[in-house]
Amino acid sequence: MELKLISTTDIAAFFDGLLKAGKVVVAPVLKQSGKVFFKPVQSFAEVATEYIQTTFSAKEVVFPKVEELFTYKHNEEGGLDFNDYLDRIPETVIWGLRPCDAAGFDYLNVFFLQEHPDAYFKARYDKTTLVTMSCSTCDESCFCTSVDSHPGDTKGSDVLLTAMDGKYYVEVMTEKGSSLINNNLELFTSTETLSKERFLAKPATRFSMEEIKDRIQNAYDSVEWKQASMGCYSCGACAFACPTCTCFDIQDEGTQDHGKRVRCWDACALSQFTKHASGHNPRKTQTERRRQRLMHKFKYSVENLGIVSCVGCGRCIRVCPSHLNIFENILSVTK
Amino acid sequence: MAETFEPKIVAFVCNWCTYAGADLAGTSRTKYATNVRIIRFPCTGRIDFMLLIKAFQNGADGIIVSGCHPNDCHYTSGNFHARRRWMVFKSLLDFMGFPTDRITFSWVSAAEGKKWADLVNETTESVRALGPFTDYKNLDFTQFNQIDHEGIAEQSR
Amino acid sequence: MKELQNKAAELLENGTINLLIGFCEDGSKRAVPCFIETAAEANTLVFNQDCKNNLSVYLHKKEVKDAVKIGLVANVATLRSVLQLLSENQLWSLTLTYLTVNGAGELVVLSSAEELEGYVQANFPTCRPEDQEMLDKLNAMSREERWAFWKDQLSECVKCYACRAVCPMCYCTVCTTECNQPQWIKTSAETSGNFEYHTMRAMHLAGRCINCGECGRICPAGIPVHLLTAQMNQEIEQEFGGKTGWSLKGGYALNSFKPGDKENFIK
Repeated sequence: MELKLISTTDIAAFFDGLLKAGKVVVAPVLKQSGKVFFKPVQSFAEVATEYIQTTFSAKEVVFPKVEELFTYKHNEEGGLDFNDYLDRIPETVIWGLRPCDAAGFDYLNVFFLQEHPDAYFKARYDKTTLVTMSCSTCDESCFCTSVDSHPGDTKGSDVLLTAMDGKYYVEVMTEKGSSLINNNLELFTSTETLSKERFLAKPATRFSMEEIKDRIQNAYDSVEWKQASMGCYSCGACAFACPTCTCFDIQDEGTQDHGKRVRCWDACALSQFTKHASGHNPRKTQTERRRQRLMHKFKYSVENLGIVSCVGCGRCIRVCPSHLNIFENILSVTK
Repeated sequence: MAETFEPKIVAFVCNWCTYAGADLAGTSRTKYATNVRIIRFPCTGRIDFMLLIKAFQNGADGIIVSGCHPNDCHYTSGNFHARRRWMVFKSLLDFMGFPTDRITFSWVSAAEGKKWADLVNETTESVRALGPFTDYKNLDFTQFNQIDHEGIAEQSR
Repeated sequence: MKELQNKAAELLENGTINLLIGFCEDGSKRAVPCFIETAAEANTLVFNQDCKNNLSVYLHKKEVKDAVKIGLVANVATLRSVLQLLSENQLWSLTLTYLTVNGAGELVVLSSAEELEGYVQANFPTCRPEDQEMLDKLNAMSREERWAFWKDQLSECVKCYACRAVCPMCYCTVCTTECNQPQWIKTSAETSGNFEYHTMRAMHLAGRCINCGECGRICPAGIPVHLLTAQMNQEIEQEFGGKTGWSLKGGYALNSFKPGDKENFIK
């Protein structure tokens, strides 16, 4: 790990330098609706400031909401020509992630790169560098400190920037991060370890994973699940906004002559998610679906992959039309 | 010389009037543009607006929707329902910015073979002037990986 | 507030209702939908400007329907949607009691469909000024400008279907988007598929939507989808007459016709 400093006036030059080097830079942008989304930008001026969290996560960069796996077309010889884009992914930088988002990428890595790595995720992730910004503010939906993280966490980041008076403290965590800094090394000065504490937000700690890990073992039969799910409208907003939700559907779109196979996001909250071809649906009501979602995040992924798949970003709470609260629900079912 | 653009026109027609009118144009040996692909329905009242969307999705450059004149519907009132549906659908498409000049609605009876031929010719020429409906295919440019979908879209047309 | 809480407690106590759907405050003081079955819980109820959700959508939920005798805390838009649902014969298995607060801040209790109709007609909501402003702005644009606007907006859509989920009028048990033999509308969130989905949804709601605006308000991507149906409703009202959510008798513009319907574009 390298430790550096860069002034707040030089950061724009560094950012623009990345664009000049031909990288695609994806950063938070304020849209007319007042919401902030991760979008490719053309200059530092477009980057949003003064916001707590983006509406959707940045997982779109490595796991797009719709991804062409390949296109096919009949050729003259009567066979099929296939085309995919794995060799044409551009060098990408995601700028302005929060530490919870970077922790989410950590989970995505664990999930997609198991025994049989997902080639599409890997191709994108290998070309992506994560530049994270520590949080100086938070709101009541944030709960990273309850899920083994905190507003200055370096987990999952290639570079972590912490804003301090007039400068940024730069923690370069990986090779990818190093080579990014080298793009404009002259803008940085070396430093020794500095304390970030007083520059970081203090989100309320709702619980600790230590407590939850035990209590959740008996949560499956809790009667609280019904109340926890009554307000649920059965849409996919929480899953799609979530930095770690990875469920997808694969659809073929096209004709006999030409077409494509696409992968698109799917959500376990949607009522048809587990419907079998026979018509039987093992998770027929929203109670069962919500239970599945929360148990997966806090128990099943811990048991199966060794990592809790909730990062405490609070997006699900903010986008939910009835603001169902994941940490309040976890507390009530593990009482 | 550059190749002239040949628009793909999909026609949704009712069996009893417009399809019969098209047959009449055929038996009368009337020459008209070959760009049209006709889809036969029992009645215009059966035409779901999603079918029109599906036609554009599959690469149509223009659409014709045609049926029996009001009061002449084989099923009495199918075309009255269709008329309402088209009024609402056209105004929705217009509101969303869809080029509704690519869609022609008409009443063509079984005796109007010439009207059918003229309709197809006029629609073909007006859609030819508008050019291919690339606006629709170009909607799907992927923002994150900047991949040249236009090239791929052209290849796979 | 106290009046509302007391009334709710009374109705639950005396068995007029088995379940009350209303709003209460969550841990962060947000007004969120809540489901109360005992009089003791009634003191958590709130009702203020923040209570925007259209709670009538929950009347389609099986767990709610099982309670049969249901109380609903509602603003006028929600009451209007219940009226529309009653006119579409969707709530026949339920006995409903409505609790609302009128313009003067007084609690109003409506115990029958007729009382509901009377109240809604007397307090019929008009198009919100900010929505009317957007509609006027869009209608003044050229076709190409509107295409660019909706292309920009709909490219953000992730097909979460939250708009469909919060809509009381979208009550089909299997939505046409979920049919894959054939696949009418692409499931993936490509912009062309998003256009198709929203066009289809606007058509299915044209003449039925009661303009509560929830779909646009809760869209995570910030797309003003409520403008599509608002525009359709205005056109339908102008061309064919009749208002949605106005009477128990109903009258759906797209399943009726007048031989004298006039248009200017059919050759």
